[in-house]
Amino acid sequence: MDGLRFDDISLPPQAVALRGEVREFLNAVLPRQYLPNSDFNCGHDPLFSRALGERGWIGMTWPKRYGGGERSFFERYVVTEELLAAGAPVSAHWIADRQSGPLLLRYGTEPQRQRHLPAITRGECFFSIGMSEPDSGSDLASVRTSARAVDGGYVVNGTKVWTTDAQRNHFMIALVRTDAAGESRHAGLTQLIVDLASDGVQVRPIRNMAGDEDFNEVVFTDCFVPATSVVGKPGNGWEQVTSELSYERSGPERFLSAFRVLVELVRAVGAEPDDHQAAVIGRMVGHLMTLRQMSISVAGMLQAGASPAVEAALVKALGNDFEKELPELARLTAPHLNEGHRFRATLAQTLLHAPAFTLRGGTREILRGVIARGLGLR
Amino acid sequence: METNQLVLDTAERMFRDHCDKALLDAAEQGHYAADLWALFASNGLPQLATEVGGGSLADVFHLLRVAGRFAVPLPLAEVLIGNHLLGASQCGPTEARISLGIADSHSAEGGEVNVELTAVPWARAVERICYVIGDPLEIVLLEVADCEITEGANIAGEPRDGVRFVGVPSRCGSPPELDVARIFEWMALARAAQMSGALERVLELALLYAKERKQFGRPIGGFQAVQHNLAVMAAHVAAALRATDAAIAALDSERRSVQVAVAKARVGEAAGLVAEMAHQVHGAMGFTHEHQLHHFTRRLLAWRDEYGREIYWQQRVGRAVAAQGADAVWDFVVAQ
Repeated sequence: MDGLRFDDISLPPQAVALRGEVREFLNAVLPRQYLPNSDFNCGHDPLFSRALGERGWIGMTWPKRYGGGERSFFERYVVTEELLAAGAPVSAHWIADRQSGPLLLRYGTEPQRQRHLPAITRGECFFSIGMSEPDSGSDLASVRTSARAVDGGYVVNGTKVWTTDAQRNHFMIALVRTDAAGESRHAGLTQLIVDLASDGVQVRPIRNMAGDEDFNEVVFTDCFVPATSVVGKPGNGWEQVTSELSYERSGPERFLSAFRVLVELVRAVGAEPDDHQAAVIGRMVGHLMTLRQMSISVAGMLQAGASPAVEAALVKALGNDFEKELPELARLTAPHLNEGHRFRATLAQTLLHAPAFTLRGGTREILRGVIARGLGLR
Repeated sequence: METNQLVLDTAERMFRDHCDKALLDAAEQGHYAADLWALFASNGLPQLATEVGGGSLADVFHLLRVAGRFAVPLPLAEVLIGNHLLGASQCGPTEARISLGIADSHSAEGGEVNVELTAVPWARAVERICYVIGDPLEIVLLEVADCEITEGANIAGEPRDGVRFVGVPSRCGSPPELDVARIFEWMALARAAQMSGALERVLELALLYAKERKQFGRPIGGFQAVQHNLAVMAAHVAAALRATDAAIAALDSERRSVQVAVAKARVGEAAGLVAEMAHQVHGAMGFTHEHQLHHFTRRLLAWRDEYGREIYWQQRVGRAVAAQGADAVWDFVVAQ
């Protein structure tokens, strides 16, 4: 059965060597009172992203002529996992580094690459994902935001939603309909780079149940987008969007969102846990080690030029369930602590964000469908 | 590497040709699979991880995964690890049918030894029993003819016999750098490897059945609820394989104990879950004795309990993590 075998991969020495560098950097730049949050969506800090860019830790695998570091996926892996484990504020540059940049590298025009990639690697240019709409979630091909061809470009009308950091980021890569769906409902879709500061773009933050304003509704009203902003070929949007998924679904952010709860649990129980606490900690660490090895294995497949969509879905499906189970088990076994204690604060943050873990980037149900397809069931 | 693959291919062919339902049923009635053993022995496989065999312990665990895939009704983990130990001792490896046990204690006065072993696989049908004890490790070899055997079996119907011996055994000495904890880890990893193979097989059976069995006019694998169960099973099987491979790869490293603990616990978790879901997919058909599914699912339920249940290994990992403290949790996770 394909998609079940995750090869053994030891990180190469040059990747491992980066670990110490990242930790030193974090010690130097993060303020002492900073409360770490290992959820990649929680913590938009342009100054932090810029400092990271100065170190060459954004766009690490990209060609040097675009500001990249021409380093391996394994080196990028170590940097990203160290940032997440430490709970650093990575949200600002995360999407640009993880998928917008690689998308432009693969499908973008030379002027698009010249314009955006070096700025992304400097931590000065942030992207949002423009996929979901009020009536199009898991069924992405049903998007209705339209781009009508006019002289020199397109006029965009419609609404994108759940757009993380649209109120703070510079660009969105929007999936829009440039033509009616033909025989295939995947036809007629196009990806456009939209400057979020353009006329005709209205961004309205949506408060989430944790009280934060991370995601937004983005309304386009006769918004003009120049033809030079088309990513790849008009009408090729579906293929391009799905090609991002292996990058989007297999990384350490898919199982580390709740990691800081585990750290604070270990702190709270101390050096001599009781039997139940020891079992919970051991179980969580074991799952984490295994997930991480699976994720590194996928990084190896990406490094080899493969497109491991099923493996990525598998890592995300298991990883998201782990992220949700961790705070549940931790709360049951933690010693009694007052509200305001570091463990309680971290746990509360994680529980309040947990519903999103199995929704964002492909719901649990969608992922199981992808795996089932890989098993030959559909 | 090529030689190892050759060994695995040979074993797989052998098991595929001989381990059918009839053999598994007969084994459960207490019949030792003598023909299969003879074939296994004639290929030199019992001494795989000895100087004669030229293989490594890692090869043993990979072979045990293949054996698990076919529910091979022979004490192969005990034979292969037993001979590995004997090969490193004064006694040397043996061509005899053997099993292996770990003794909690024994009394030795003069040349005479008094020992009781529990749950020794197939003790009733082998010629010799190798047991290990203590730190530094001592290896002792008993003639079954001199032992008092009390027959027993695990939930899968695999013989797990009590052995009592009073007399003068062959003392094989103490190979350096080994203790009984290490052998316990090897046996735990052996069961994890067997389980990972059985898990692969159980998933394969469930997929086949879901594609064949029709209800409401179409294969049940076409229903989303069933597809999702199979996807969950596949995810846990993949994790079990990864955890086992990681432990095998760490056999000679400082991470051995941690990786073995993680493997036995993680695979044991997957075993219960995947066995349950495989039965759900198979419906009443899989609940019959006539169907082969139970030979694999019952072994999963048995093996997860042998050589430390999940919680035992989780606690070991948890205590090690706690001892290093909160700020070293991440280091513990990423150590290679």
